[in-house]
Amino acid sequence: MSEPLLSVENLKTQFFTEDGTVRAVDGISFDVYEGEIVGLVGESGAGKSVATSSLLRLVDSPGEIVGGEITFKGETIFGLEEGTSGEPRPRDDMLSEEEMRKQIRGREIAIIFQDPMESLNPVFTVGGQLREFIEINRGLSEEEARAEAIDMLREVGIPAPESRYDEYPHQFSGGMRQRVLIAMALACQPDLIIADEPTTALDVTVEGQILEMVTELQEKYDTSFIWVTHDMSVVAEICDRVNVMYLGEIIEHAEVDDLFYDTKHPYTQALLDSMPRPDRTVEELDPIKGVMPEAIDPPSGCRFHSRCPHAREVCREVHPEPRDLSDEGEPMHSAACVMYDAFDVGYEGSRPIETEATGGFSAGLTETEGDE
Amino acid sequence: MSGLGDDEPLLQVRNLCKYFDSDGGLFGGVTVDREFPFVARDPSKVRAVEDVSFDIKKGETLGLVGESGCGKSTLARTVLRLLEPTSGSVYFKGEDLATISGEPLRRKRQDMQMIFQDPQSSLDPRMKVGPIVEEPMQAHGMLDEEGREARAKELLEKVGLDPQHYNRYPHAFSGGQRQRVNLARALSVNPDFIVCDEPVSALDVSIQAQVLNTMQELQAEFDLTYLFIAHDLSVIRHISDRVAVMYLGQMVELADKEELFENPRHPYTRALLDAIPVPDPRSEGRTGLLTGDVPSPIDPPSGCRFRTRCPVLIQPEEFEMTESEWADVVTFQRAVKRRAFETTDRGEIRRRYFEDVPAGDAGTLVEDALSYIEEERWDEAEDLLTESFADASVCATDEPAYEVAPVHGDGRHYTACHRVRDEAIASGAAAELDAPGSGAIGEAGADD
Repeated sequence: MSEPLLSVENLKTQFFTEDGTVRAVDGISFDVYEGEIVGLVGESGAGKSVATSSLLRLVDSPGEIVGGEITFKGETIFGLEEGTSGEPRPRDDMLSEEEMRKQIRGREIAIIFQDPMESLNPVFTVGGQLREFIEINRGLSEEEARAEAIDMLREVGIPAPESRYDEYPHQFSGGMRQRVLIAMALACQPDLIIADEPTTALDVTVEGQILEMVTELQEKYDTSFIWVTHDMSVVAEICDRVNVMYLGEIIEHAEVDDLFYDTKHPYTQALLDSMPRPDRTVEELDPIKGVMPEAIDPPSGCRFHSRCPHAREVCREVHPEPRDLSDEGEPMHSAACVMYDAFDVGYEGSRPIETEATGGFSAGLTETEGDE
Repeated sequence: MSGLGDDEPLLQVRNLCKYFDSDGGLFGGVTVDREFPFVARDPSKVRAVEDVSFDIKKGETLGLVGESGCGKSTLARTVLRLLEPTSGSVYFKGEDLATISGEPLRRKRQDMQMIFQDPQSSLDPRMKVGPIVEEPMQAHGMLDEEGREARAKELLEKVGLDPQHYNRYPHAFSGGQRQRVNLARALSVNPDFIVCDEPVSALDVSIQAQVLNTMQELQAEFDLTYLFIAHDLSVIRHISDRVAVMYLGQMVELADKEELFENPRHPYTRALLDAIPVPDPRSEGRTGLLTGDVPSPIDPPSGCRFRTRCPVLIQPEEFEMTESEWADVVTFQRAVKRRAFETTDRGEIRRRYFEDVPAGDAGTLVEDALSYIEEERWDEAEDLLTESFADASVCATDEPAYEVAPVHGDGRHYTACHRVRDEAIASGAAAELDAPGSGAIGEAGADD
């Protein structure tokens, strides 16, 4: 296979809060190749958004990328080396803040956020914002940039783009605003677009329109996407490969068909089982028991063991790293679960343990203050 | 007390309308013009809910779906009299809520509760969970202090929380648990009817399933009736007995769940169902997506409100085009309206939008429109096409209301689409459920 466009190795992002260190992203690795859509799925609190902002080095204090390596087209977006006295320091070949700003963000890697209203400035016209972005990033004159902006608006399906160019964001519907952001992301023809839950706030009909449009544009421009979502249906519809995140870790990685039809990790399975189906009537849903623990104090061993129906003693003790479980000659399918023989830590002989999933339903309250 | 039989509807909504003034405020609705009289005041109204009628039987769940902005929440609030209806009636256990107010209405509220979408903002952050659950009981003078505390603890347990959490503040709970507190609060006054306005859409899927299951258990245990609003059709399919579909303030289809999902008759319902993503990479994906945006409720389309986006608009009687010719004309008319293309070249447009330009009057009209476009007179081209094609259709001139025979089950199937007119078993007012006020309603009202 050719070189990956983006390669993430053992990325760790932590937040240093008063209550302790929150390990929001804890050692994730994945690749993105040219022209593919890679999904990043998980519930809220899984660390999806922190992972994507880390890719662009957009993590704000008290958060910090504390380890790992991010390589994009041969350039190092993030990398550490050991300093003279043993402390980690940025490597020399790591891009400077200015290089990140001028070369990477927007131009090479664009990002689309969930809430289109917050990403557009309410006091400037939609067209003006798009034009300015094109003007700065592509070095076009104002007139050329304007023509290009109108073309982009038409391309993403905005009706009557010439007259809507001069309108303000509040005059656009939610779906239209998201289209504008997609136009903005595509305007510099970046190699990679990170889409952070771009359709979550939209109605299904609009979501359908947008996904269809993205698929078309992706074929036309051959852009790669990292698609962040919590919705398995969206994953099924557009992704080529999928990474499933739970509590800061990638616990399963597979091609989309394998993920749905040859699910390995109990969490992925539980996630799929808990969804109501639009295409058939289900008598009772089978939810995942309990709630996701806090990333400030994750469970020992496998992080999912506290909610896992297959949990055994060994799950509490051994922390599994994802391993490739696919047969030879088949595309990679990795999962981090000691249930599989590849791990060989004595799961078979281990005693099953009481968890929220195996025992009764105890609502699993978050352990914060409240009794006073 | 209620004297309602099993088949008697608990709630009957008849021709309910709710309009909002869009000219509120000092300069609201004022437009400045270059010509005399320079300033005009436009007394336009947002027609959020228009002429909606339906029944809810005791113990059932009516699902209400529609896109954002279609008036679902306004309808729910108007039904509960949290908003004053502009016209129409809401009979709850035989009494018209639209006509009562003040203390009688307040007392009625004991039987009707509501659960909101955002579990965070519907709980007072400075009150402990226990008092939150007790407050409605206090307001309605139920039980004494000790009794209320005991009941609150019992309810917390019923909704799947630990009764020990009585003394915690809402911030110590997760989203799903907060929604459970909301459930306990709604249940505290022992209501018959709960309106749930998108209760699970802010929750993660796994948590969503837990809360939905709890809601179903509670319904069975306390014999509750739900009006369940959601935009997620998968959730609606899971929880509802009957489903109503709304578009731009009106009800377009109402039928039993199986019937609606397996045999949808209204093109909007079909489009909505086709748009649901299926969590299966081997499914064919979404087909026949709707184009365009929902029109403004200030000036909704005449006749069927869905006609401006409808994929199966009916051809006006004076033309005799084939189905595909008519489809081309409709696509072209909408493209001109949206200014979806730039070119003014006659040949180019013809190639793009028409396989064969229709013959006869229709063809002449299309040619006229093309001439306008060639001269860049877009507005005139748009008017010509809209007036002669879109506005001449029966969909634009008559408001549809039909009842068709169901294929699944034996419930009534109401659908507001002219396409079914030939097989309809009832139409007009007769299709929109029986008229109230007769028999049962009058008697029940007298009993109280």
